[in-house]
Amino acid sequence: MHRFANPARFLKIARPATGWLLALGLVLSLTGMAGALFLIPPDYLQGETARILHIHVPAAWLGMGGWTGIAVSSIATIVWRHPLAGVAARAIAPVGATFAFLCLVTGSIWGRPTWGTWWEWDGRLTSMLVLLFLYLGYMALAAAEKERGPDGRAAAIFGIVGIVNLPIIHFSVQWWRTLHQGESIGVAGSSIAPSMLWPLPLTTLGFSALFGAIVLMRMRTELAETKVEMRLRRMATAA
Amino acid sequence: MKPAPKHQRLVLVILAVAALIGAALLAMWGLSDRAAYFRTPQDIAAGRAQVGEPIRLGGMVKQGSIVRQPDGVSIAFVVTDGPADVPVRYRGIVPDLFKEGGGVVAEGRLERGNTFVADTILAKHDERYMPPQMGNIQAERQTRKTVAQ
Amino acid sequence: MNQWAFVLAAFGVMAGGTGGLLAWSWPAMRSAEAKAEALGKRR
Repeated sequence: MHRFANPARFLKIARPATGWLLALGLVLSLTGMAGALFLIPPDYLQGETARILHIHVPAAWLGMGGWTGIAVSSIATIVWRHPLAGVAARAIAPVGATFAFLCLVTGSIWGRPTWGTWWEWDGRLTSMLVLLFLYLGYMALAAAEKERGPDGRAAAIFGIVGIVNLPIIHFSVQWWRTLHQGESIGVAGSSIAPSMLWPLPLTTLGFSALFGAIVLMRMRTELAETKVEMRLRRMATAA
Repeated sequence: MKPAPKHQRLVLVILAVAALIGAALLAMWGLSDRAAYFRTPQDIAAGRAQVGEPIRLGGMVKQGSIVRQPDGVSIAFVVTDGPADVPVRYRGIVPDLFKEGGGVVAEGRLERGNTFVADTILAKHDERYMPPQMGNIQAERQTRKTVAQ
Repeated sequence: MNQWAFVLAAFGVMAGGTGGLLAWSWPAMRSAEAKAEALGKRR
């Protein structure tokens, strides 16, 4: 578990991984988006607007996956006091928040021509908005805590508590009657015709790789900044 | 031998997460009735809506029930969930996806005599996507099922 | 058609949001690592 506690070891892997993830993510997401825009047939009911699915679903997945990452890092912070876990959680937060926001915006743009409304307070939409606010709260808390010290206990507890929202988002369309339709893709299979489905794995993998690349960039940024800070402090005491 | 502190912390964290999720799920499940976004014709038939109370009514637009009024902006149709029907009146523009056999959510009030007067009409679609040539036959068969759930 | 306006808006927002994150994170990393490097050499 503490194999990566040493930033030098982590960086040895993170440095090449950043570039690879970035390249892979760009290729896959651009291919998938082109396929979703130009190659798949329109939907029998919605027409062209169903193409938005191929970006809306990855945004939702990464918005929720981001918080899962924060929760796992928070557990590593509290249980193992892993020094990189806090760095990872702080790096993930604004990226996950952006994708949660993109999920809400693309959903809104999709909802207007299909449902006839930009926004409705149904179970799915509301719980996703709550996730965005949780991210904003986490970012404020983590920033405030980092000023005081490297421990980050309060933010970690917040990260763990916030995970209850994820099953609520997921099951909202089953528990409550919602305007949002049910899940198209589950363990039992998919209710999307294969000729319309194929760009979805590409965009999902592609945006996930970009997510990973951005998180690695932000972690490397914080590690470099910490290094500079510590060295300056050492130089000040030596002088 | 005493367990290592990190194991104690791990067990504590797992217990806390489990308790938290359990409590939340229980609360959400309890809320399921009140957090429902719309009511169904069966709810109305069972008297679970007051006359004049602002509610949302959800269901399927009954086949052959849409009647356009002579004034050009008013329509009347029937929302059904299978066992129960509710007649609806509406003045305004409907979404593109609003059609017979499709899902619908109407916002408005129940009048005396159990007619629903809608201020807003939203279309509800299901989770299936398919190309046009696969046709509407298969689609409409299942819309009934999805909307009524 | 009108539907395409919504589709293109959604794809534009998604690409813009992700591109914005990249345009923000990449230069920040480069400058931070360059600073660390420079300080390391000065010793």
